[in-house]
Amino acid sequence: MPGPPALVAPARRARPGAAPWLALALVATLVLAGYLWVTTTQWQATSAQWESEAHRYASQVATLDLQLDGANAELAAARDQLATATGRISELANEKAQLGDQRVASQQYLDYQMRVSEAAAKVAVALGQCVDGQDELITYLGDADAYDPGDLRRFRNQVDDLCDQARDANRALQQELDQ
Amino acid sequence: MKRGTRRPAARRAVVPVVIAVALGTTGCGVLPSLPEPVPSNIVPSRPAALEPAGGGDSLSPDGFDAVQRMAVRIRNVGCDELSTGSGFAVGDHTLITNRHVVANSDNLQVSTYDGRDIEVGTAATAGLADLAIVRTREELPSFPELARRDPEQGDEVMIAGYPSGGELTITSGRVVGSTRDPLHANLGEVLVTDAKVEPGSSGSAALDTRGRVIGVVYAKTAEDDSLLVPISTVREMLADADEFTAVAGCR
Repeated sequence: MPGPPALVAPARRARPGAAPWLALALVATLVLAGYLWVTTTQWQATSAQWESEAHRYASQVATLDLQLDGANAELAAARDQLATATGRISELANEKAQLGDQRVASQQYLDYQMRVSEAAAKVAVALGQCVDGQDELITYLGDADAYDPGDLRRFRNQVDDLCDQARDANRALQQELDQ
Repeated sequence: MKRGTRRPAARRAVVPVVIAVALGTTGCGVLPSLPEPVPSNIVPSRPAALEPAGGGDSLSPDGFDAVQRMAVRIRNVGCDELSTGSGFAVGDHTLITNRHVVANSDNLQVSTYDGRDIEVGTAATAGLADLAIVRTREELPSFPELARRDPEQGDEVMIAGYPSGGELTITSGRVVGSTRDPLHANLGEVLVTDAKVEPGSSGSAALDTRGRVIGVVYAKTAEDDSLLVPISTVREMLADADEFTAVAGCR
């Protein structure tokens, strides 16, 4: 005997038009995944290149740091040498100036000595002429009657002139000595 | 039959379009873009404020600074005696010193900071101030700028010269004030500073902190202060060539 009729569920009818959208979503997801994969690999490659560049520049910086330290040390040494050299130049300039002063002072002293010597020589010559003249005058006066009085007077005046010249020369000498 | 439970076809078509547009608009902003290629030649950007290392102020053609380079030593081979003084360049072939430094001169000899002798052409002295101008036949190494106005009390001052005819020396101090010239060698007021000077410093340039000439040393007081001809007087004298007369040689 047949049992009661079982209830038959109504067949679920697929919603019309869903499949294309699902397919479209799947395709979009795949495209998106592919894009992300490509992007990721390219970013990884770029990142690796940048890291390589960074290492290269870091290496350059380290090298430059070393070179800079060396250059700074050389610069400091060069500055010290320059300071020593300029100090020495100043010393030499001063020594040259002092020597120049001494040379000029020596020349002036030499000129002075020459003037004194010349004046002393003039005094000596003039005094000699004065003494000789006075000796001669004394001789003439010892036998005055033998000479014309006018001639004797003239000769005495000449001797006085010679002695005046000697006195002037001596005065000039004393002035030089007073300087 | 219920008709209201079914969506209209037009509404069903709009939904994917809206989703696609939303994905397109927001997705493009969210999704990472492809990286730019790494450039083969990276040019570093130069920092704008970066300057060379310190010590730039002391740079000069030969290691001597401008203050030293403009100072000169003057030897006055006088008619009967020898004296020395200082001076400073104000042009390629012109230097300034004191009148009493070049007075009674038979021969003037000028030398620079490095011992180089500079041949002198002519010398002329001012009538109303203890100033003299010496023209040289050879070029002077360096010359400073003249300040436009006199310094104020308390201003720093630096003096470069040859005290006692010795080595080039730089002393510093401050402007103490001004006074009437106790030596009556200058018309008008003169400056007083506490920078140390000695005989032989006469004619030295007095400089401000920027290296500009603010006066010319001409004497020292019993209190060991230095007296300066102010730059205003120097400018007045320089502006009037008739103020100067040629130095008379030995008679």
